[in-house]
Amino acid sequence: MVLEFFRRGSENQLDKIESQVGQMLGEARHSFDLAASTVLAGASATAVGDDVHKTDRRINKLERKIRRELVVHVSVNASGTDVPMVLAYMAVAKDIERIGDYAKNIWDLAHQGVDLSKDEDVETLISYRDRISLLISQTANTFLNKATDKAWDYLAEADVLLDEFDGRIDELTQSERPSTYGVPRALYFRYMKRITAHLMNVLTALTMPVDRLAYYDEDRRDREPLDQ
Amino acid sequence: MAISRPISERKMPTWARLLLVIGLLYTFLSGVKFLESGIKAFGSDVAADLFDGISNPLAGLFAGILATVLVQSSSVTTATIVGLVGSGTLPFDTAVPMIMGANIGTTVTNTLASLGHIRRSEEFKRAFAGATMHDFFNVLAVAVLLPLELITGFLSGMAERLGEWLSDAGIQGGELGDSPLKSAVKWPVDLVQDLIDGASDNVVGAVLLILGLGLIFLSLAFITRNMKEVLAGRIERSINEVLSRGGGVPAMLVGLVMTVAVQSSSITTSILIPIIAAGVLTLQNAYPITLGANVGTTVTALLASLAADRPEALAIALTHTLFNLTGIALFYPAPQLRYLPVKLAQRLADVAVTNRTLALGYVVGAFVIVPLVGIVLLR
Repeated sequence: MVLEFFRRGSENQLDKIESQVGQMLGEARHSFDLAASTVLAGASATAVGDDVHKTDRRINKLERKIRRELVVHVSVNASGTDVPMVLAYMAVAKDIERIGDYAKNIWDLAHQGVDLSKDEDVETLISYRDRISLLISQTANTFLNKATDKAWDYLAEADVLLDEFDGRIDELTQSERPSTYGVPRALYFRYMKRITAHLMNVLTALTMPVDRLAYYDEDRRDREPLDQ
Repeated sequence: MAISRPISERKMPTWARLLLVIGLLYTFLSGVKFLESGIKAFGSDVAADLFDGISNPLAGLFAGILATVLVQSSSVTTATIVGLVGSGTLPFDTAVPMIMGANIGTTVTNTLASLGHIRRSEEFKRAFAGATMHDFFNVLAVAVLLPLELITGFLSGMAERLGEWLSDAGIQGGELGDSPLKSAVKWPVDLVQDLIDGASDNVVGAVLLILGLGLIFLSLAFITRNMKEVLAGRIERSINEVLSRGGGVPAMLVGLVMTVAVQSSSITTSILIPIIAAGVLTLQNAYPITLGANVGTTVTALLASLAADRPEALAIALTHTLFNLTGIALFYPAPQLRYLPVKLAQRLADVAVTNRTLALGYVVGAFVIVPLVGIVLLR
């Protein structure tokens, strides 16, 4: 433990916290891919359940670790310079933790007997899964590289996805097809929409000031960075 | 945007930092030499009168507490004591309780830091307990070791023998002139003395004394500030390690190393307060860091003894180290005693959280009124 004091390494501990945020996103993607595979690819919910729940616990543990380390950071560096970043990391860790929760919700669908792998619209559902999985990875890379321009691109892409998910949910609520068809899909699209929204929140940490974090998926009139 | 780094961080190159620290250490040692020479210039009568009032050990203890509370740094107090003992002005036996008092007085800084949480009950309870466990440990150590020292002289005896051994081994101590370092730190004193040549002894003494105290205070303040800035990342990493692995002896070593590096136990213990208040660091894990800080802070007095003329200066600095090590040896190994200061602090915090005036009263009473009244009555 004391050797840690003498070990050479990054002098800014926010770098380490940042990489832990990246790690959380990696875990969230793993959990999401596994959960989606149970609903869309016929994987056994029982077989992957343990992994999904263990991954979720790892995500939660990382979130708590990030929070603790942020408290230590502000206590050691009392100048206040890093306060916006500290608040942003707190918010971002919460958003990623929620992605883990939605992945668990998707797994819950399969656990309750939902299997869409043989349905006629499975290709569409899989394509959405692939886009979200890729977006998680892109968000992680963008976040770690602080690529603000890319963040704006992915926010625009995520906007399109939000509209598509809303459209799908609207169709399903007005559909006359049985509830065994509509409910699982509505829930699936709803979870996908929330995951997308949380990814947008992560990306807004690169594009918006602290007071505007986590509103990007809501009213589009709230998006002007300097609007009071 | 929320997450963005400054384009260019204003950073001093490592070599410049190193030069700065060496310069500040030199200034610190020169300050000790100025102080020592200033007291000597007053003449032995003035000096004897000055410390006659605190020949009572309890008065000496209270003087140590009060002086440290006033300058908010045990390092300044102990370095000054080393300088005074080194000049032969302050008797070694009188200095021992003062050094112990400095140990108690230094805890006021983190206790004051804990008052920042006074508006939020749970946070305050944790923060106040986290701060006062340091007070309780030091008071308990003094309560046991001061009477023992007065009866047997075991601490000062050990320190003197260790000092002699170090001098014989040529590591430290000895008379003036037998080390290039002592000659180097004497040079600015000689320069100032030449500049005010012809002035009365009292004027020369006052000038050197003020310069000495000022240089000690400023150099320590700058060393602490500079080192804290340079080592913030390492301090953070070390505390994070304590968070993930728990306390115990390794945490004690972390406290020791951190304090030696920043030359201030107040910095180490005050950093812990908001972390304890947030509930992130438990009292049980913070406690050994605090004990390590107690030992780490004694390095300043040891450094100060490098500039002093007499071997007693090294002996008093070693007494400080041995006092803190013995305190740990007394309370830490036995599981029944280990967390006694923590439990006492928790009880006090339980009371303080329901009656916050009592918390303020404790700080003023324990660190100002009791020492002040003690000095007046016992001198």
